[in-house]
Amino acid sequence: MKQFDEAALDRAASAQQSLLSAFLAALGAITAIPQSASAQTAFTLPAPPFDLPMLPSPSGNWTVMVGIGGEYTPDFVGSKNGKFRPIPIFSIRRAGSIDQFRGPRDSASIALLDVGYFRAGPAFKYVSSRKSDKYSELTGLGDVKAAYELGGFVEYYPVDWLRLRSELRQGVGGHTGTVADVSADVIVPLIQRLTISAGPRFTWKSTKATAPYFGVDATQALASGLPMYDARGGAHSVGFGSQISYRINPQWEVHAYVEYERLLGDAAGSPLVKLRGSSNQTTIGLGASYSFDFRIR
Amino acid sequence: MRRHAVLWIALAVASVALSAAAAFETRANRLQAIKTVGIVSAIGEEMSLTQAGLTALGNTGQSASISAWGLDEMIVQQATKLLSGRFRVQPVSYRRAAFAAIRDSAVAPVNLLRSDPFKELVRSDVAPQGLDAYIVITRARSKLGSGRDVEGIGLVQYRTLLADYGLIHALYEVRVIDGKSFDVIEKRAAAPLDNTGTMRLAGPSGPVDETFDGPASGERLRTAIVDLVTRSLPVTLSDMHLMESQ
Repeated sequence: MKQFDEAALDRAASAQQSLLSAFLAALGAITAIPQSASAQTAFTLPAPPFDLPMLPSPSGNWTVMVGIGGEYTPDFVGSKNGKFRPIPIFSIRRAGSIDQFRGPRDSASIALLDVGYFRAGPAFKYVSSRKSDKYSELTGLGDVKAAYELGGFVEYYPVDWLRLRSELRQGVGGHTGTVADVSADVIVPLIQRLTISAGPRFTWKSTKATAPYFGVDATQALASGLPMYDARGGAHSVGFGSQISYRINPQWEVHAYVEYERLLGDAAGSPLVKLRGSSNQTTIGLGASYSFDFRIR
Repeated sequence: MRRHAVLWIALAVASVALSAAAAFETRANRLQAIKTVGIVSAIGEEMSLTQAGLTALGNTGQSASISAWGLDEMIVQQATKLLSGRFRVQPVSYRRAAFAAIRDSAVAPVNLLRSDPFKELVRSDVAPQGLDAYIVITRARSKLGSGRDVEGIGLVQYRTLLADYGLIHALYEVRVIDGKSFDVIEKRAAAPLDNTGTMRLAGPSGPVDETFDGPASGERLRTAIVDLVTRSLPVTLSDMHLMESQ
């Protein structure tokens, strides 16, 4: 064990000193890291003419992230065809604020309870409408309006590299059922700049969340040529997801992900899926972002 | 009908803008009116030792006493020097441990709704009373990676599959508390000194290299922590409009 000048520490806390010594010795394996560049901001804005009550002053450094991504995703849940759509990337936050690990399937959420390894709070997901005239497979099945799923999430990290997350949401609009998502992600930093993560996913949906998308009533059967089908709730899908992110330098970051989902139960058994679609659903995404700082006086 | 709606919306927008302007005036005026201040610092008694990244199950943070480093005394001295140009800074006495013991609630809305815990402590624990304002410097918290928080002064070993990295941090926040009403006039966490590192914390931090190992490493560590505070304090006080920009 290498030497450590303990005289500088509180002599009264010898046990703690040896702890610190051991810790520093452990850090002996650390390779020298080049000193990062000094703080540089792209521009400085003047202070706003007024502050909003209850909100902290905006003075200080802010980080803006802009980028572009794309996602290849099934045309609709159960479809065997997919489409590629661009996704803009934009965020603004106080400089130094940390981007929490986020899975591609996570709903938008706010951690109202945050004790480090355990987080919980409200969650929201927007499910876009399904227009029957957009895809030939849906002809005669009618439209399903956009749905708004509101609920909550809990997230637990038994260790830094393992995230367990669960969401429970209630739909309004296009469907009025209940949806539960459970996922686990092993998050492995290969080096400081390169992180990969992967893990299983499972989704359960109630009958009211399943029927609008996978059921076929008598009218729809006549119009579509599909047999009538009473879609009930239960295990909806099981899958696996993985993502990789690489910070090229402090400004540029690239990421990619793949999410595979196999429909189960009545969703997989629907004639829409069996006869015209596929129970294998794959989403692939990638993106690049650039971050810069600016300052408000 | 539509014209009425537009008028109402315009009225609401004007009201919000005026209220906001009034609020700014209040904050600015309150800072302008301050002549005498006392400085409280309670961040430097303990250093946290954290292992993060690829760690074993049950790994918990530990801490070591660094009270002999005299960090809080140094911070009070430096803040006094920085603020003396604008305010008359008077020495104050306080129970440092009481200030260091206060933690934010884990439930975010509680922190928004409850009264700031430092208000009461300044009222009951700081002497002399009657100054225009008290500058209170205490530990701040930041996320490190995904599932771990770090706070105050600390040393982090971040383990990845292929390499280990070291990081020191000095996370603190500054409050300006009115000496009469004990309202928090302004509160600000010290920002990172740069945003160029790949391992980020929401406050002053820097990489640890091999010079921290070997003889006199404790003194080097202290010097590095002092450097973080020395470089970040003027920026923070300037962001709070307590002193001219550096």
